[in-house]
Amino acid sequence: MDEVLRVENLWKSYGETSVLRGVSFEVKRGEVKVIMGPSGAGKSTLLRCINLLVKPDRGRILLEGREIYPKPYDAIHRIRQRIGFVFQSFNLFLHMTVLDNVRVGLVKVKKLSKEEATKIAIEALRMVGIGPELWNKYPAQLSGGQQQRVAIARAIAMNPSIMLMDEPTSALDPELVGEVLNVIRDLAARRMTMVIVTHEIDFAIDVADEILVIDDGKIVERGKPQEIISNPKHPRTRRFLERLKRRVDHGLR
Amino acid sequence: MVFINIKVIQDYGPVILSGIGNTLILTFGGFGMGLVFGALLAFAQCFGRGIVRRVATAIEESLRSIPLLVLMLLIFFGLPELGISLSPVQSAILAIGLRSMAYQSQILRSAISAIPYGQVEAALSLGMTKAQLFSTLIAPQAFRIALPGLVNQFTIDLKDTSIAYAIGVSELFTQSIHVAQVTLNYLTPLLFVGSIYFVMTFSTSTIANYLYRKFSIPGLGEASHG
Repeated sequence: MDEVLRVENLWKSYGETSVLRGVSFEVKRGEVKVIMGPSGAGKSTLLRCINLLVKPDRGRILLEGREIYPKPYDAIHRIRQRIGFVFQSFNLFLHMTVLDNVRVGLVKVKKLSKEEATKIAIEALRMVGIGPELWNKYPAQLSGGQQQRVAIARAIAMNPSIMLMDEPTSALDPELVGEVLNVIRDLAARRMTMVIVTHEIDFAIDVADEILVIDDGKIVERGKPQEIISNPKHPRTRRFLERLKRRVDHGLR
Repeated sequence: MVFINIKVIQDYGPVILSGIGNTLILTFGGFGMGLVFGALLAFAQCFGRGIVRRVATAIEESLRSIPLLVLMLLIFFGLPELGISLSPVQSAILAIGLRSMAYQSQILRSAISAIPYGQVEAALSLGMTKAQLFSTLIAPQAFRIALPGLVNQFTIDLKDTSIAYAIGVSELFTQSIHVAQVTLNYLTPLLFVGSIYFVMTFSTSTIANYLYRKFSIPGLGEASHG
């Protein structure tokens, strides 16, 4: 099984506003796809459609060759176990310690024993560089970068087939962006299959096997990172990239 | 000028204090009933659809709009006309419980809706069922957020047990009025019973503060300290 995710002609609108207008792409095992595009282009909605947090209007989604939309092969909550999701605003469970945040899915959803869950959780936390001194802290006691790394650990502990990341560094202070990007680079090096929405160009060039540029609900351009960055074909891509570069030049990132 | 007649307290203090049992029965009975049914009502309002949700809202709104005294008299004097006779204590518990239910459902409902939706999405994306989502995220967080409001409602229920005087339940306030009528001294028994209510509400809030500290989590329900 080589293909982990296939999205075919996905449409979604909220009332009069169509957010996705026929998006299609596929992700092979071990591949990293980076999605870029201006805000409001439909990037977050696309990711939320893939793990069925948002119900698409039409189209087709297959996970590891099996249909999950429109006719899910299994209960949706069981399908979601196979899809890791990392949110822009971390969304850690505020009433749980770091360790419990990573453990809770293993214990409650996967029904592992507490010992097994703890072992896996600690392994995941070490992978994202969260040491024992933080395991019993609560999310509010952590920096944004630490919270996002815990959130990544929470997702990878579930051993998903694919990880979806929705602007994982957009809510972070600039000095904390690097530590999170390094963790994601590390995951890419371990051949974790990922779809990442980001505005970080350098990072995208680094990790992406392919960049998809979305605007106005459609994929307007796709290709190898270098091709897209150095020689964008679509005028919208050009404008979008110029805006991003200008932000970098002004140190506004 | 003597405010407190010590002799009245010496002679009749025990008579007044004998009402404490009924006061506690009404408080815990009414608050307990309010918590159980208030939780159901909040649940129906947050997660119910269509008719269930509208009925729950209608029950809450109407019970919050009727004065407790009216409610209590309706139950005690009105229900027998429909063939349902309840004792004074039962009527008082029911009235306090219904009113408490309406307010507690509101407290719990706002606590549930105060949970950031992002955490709900995170729980769902881990693969939790709705039941798991409720037991691992919504219930524990909503309880902590609701705690100060629930404690406040408890002290209101405690003080409002005095309204059961109107249907002749021999609780603290009723006893103090009886003493006043016998001794023709109102100031002393009323100040005495007032101080008993004060001691009870004050110790409740002291215990509550201990609970807030015990259950407090950084970044969650900060308002409980305020």
